[in-house]
Amino acid sequence: MPKCIKSEGQAIDYVYKLLPPAEEEPFEEHLKNCPDCTEAVQSFDTVLQLTDKAQAEVTVPELALQDIEMNVYKRLAATHKQTLFSRVRAYFANFGSVFRWQKTAAASTAVLALITIAILMSNPFQPEPRLQLTEAQSAYARIEQYRQQDIQRNLEEALITHHLRNDAWETESRLHRMKEQAHGTTWTKVADDHLQNLQSGTLNRTQQNSKSRN
Amino acid sequence: MDKLIDDEMLVAQFQSGRQNAFDELMKRYKSKIFSYLLRSVRNYEDAEDITIEVFFKAYRALENWQPKAKFSTWLYKIASNLAIDYHRTKARHPVYALEDTEIPEANLVASDLYSDPEKQLEEQERGRIIREAVDQLSPKQKAVFMLSRYEGLQLKEVAETLDMAEGTVKIHLHRAVKRLQTLLRPLWENNEI
Ligand SMILES: [Zn+2]
Repeated sequence: MPKCIKSEGQAIDYVYKLLPPAEEEPFEEHLKNCPDCTEAVQSFDTVLQLTDKAQAEVTVPELALQDIEMNVYKRLAATHKQTLFSRVRAYFANFGSVFRWQKTAAASTAVLALITIAILMSNPFQPEPRLQLTEAQSAYARIEQYRQQDIQRNLEEALITHHLRNDAWETESRLHRMKEQAHGTTWTKVADDHLQNLQSGTLNRTQQNSKSRN
Repeated sequence: MDKLIDDEMLVAQFQSGRQNAFDELMKRYKSKIFSYLLRSVRNYEDAEDITIEVFFKAYRALENWQPKAKFSTWLYKIASNLAIDYHRTKARHPVYALEDTEIPEANLVASDLYSDPEKQLEEQERGRIIREAVDQLSPKQKAVFMLSRYEGLQLKEVAETLDMAEGTVKIHLHRAVKRLQTLLRPLWENNEI
């Protein structure tokens, strides 16, 4: 069977809706009389339907997205710590080499004094741009802010889950998550109270109380 | 999504010191970038790590960013580069097995659609086979296919994102679809669909 001279690329472009508008209609006319291209179009169309469906099944659960911002700021804060550390290390490495040179080149007090003055004048923490510091500061502030939000969100979610869906397991895991986030704050006490109440089945009443407290 | 303030305006605000603007940008794009990466690397943990890396890199580079392209295109560029690196690294370690199991299948297919558990399993299996076929594309073919098909990028934007000529993008796209046709043909020829 003679193969059609039109390229398969054209069939792909047609299915993908990439054909220039002027080429679309002539191609559709051609399809009416060309079984090769018709078969190609059908098969590429099936490929896209299959992959679209399979990819649509991949979804990111809301829960996985919650910590992204906080983790980005943690990553920024960690890098700042690292650069500070590596600068201190680099500084002492430099100091060491100057010192070795000075030892072999017959020490004089003048050389020592010069080194001291040089160190005093060039504060090792000075040359780093101011921006880095504010970046770290804002990273820490953001981490704290997201932590607070996370604590509150988990408490709210825990209460909603308990109240609307009566899902004890989910409620409990939310409360534990909240407690984890709240480590070192008075919020852990709130989490503990709720956990205790959950076990004794009185969470609904404490929920009312915590609402009226706010 | 509150798009009253466009992305580029938020970038300008961030550059002039308004930190909240970056939070807003993350809020706008974290879901898109995460799902793009999840489709690409098909492993929750790695997708999450790379998403964090994308915003980390963006934060540090944004100070000197010039609005030559759309902010979203630039963000996809960072994500695509990291995904391509990821696949290259994985390719160098042949021990790596495709890990669709990393994605809980129960989450992937809405369970109430099928009362028949056998049919549901079949459906899940088919989804897995198709996603594995997409995995067999070269990293560039895969990136072109994903960006154009699932991220709604125009070919011109895909070209910018991947630093390719538009013609090259089209070649990769044609190869990707052809390859998928070869890989998936048995599914419909054996009347499995
Ligand atoms: Zn034809």
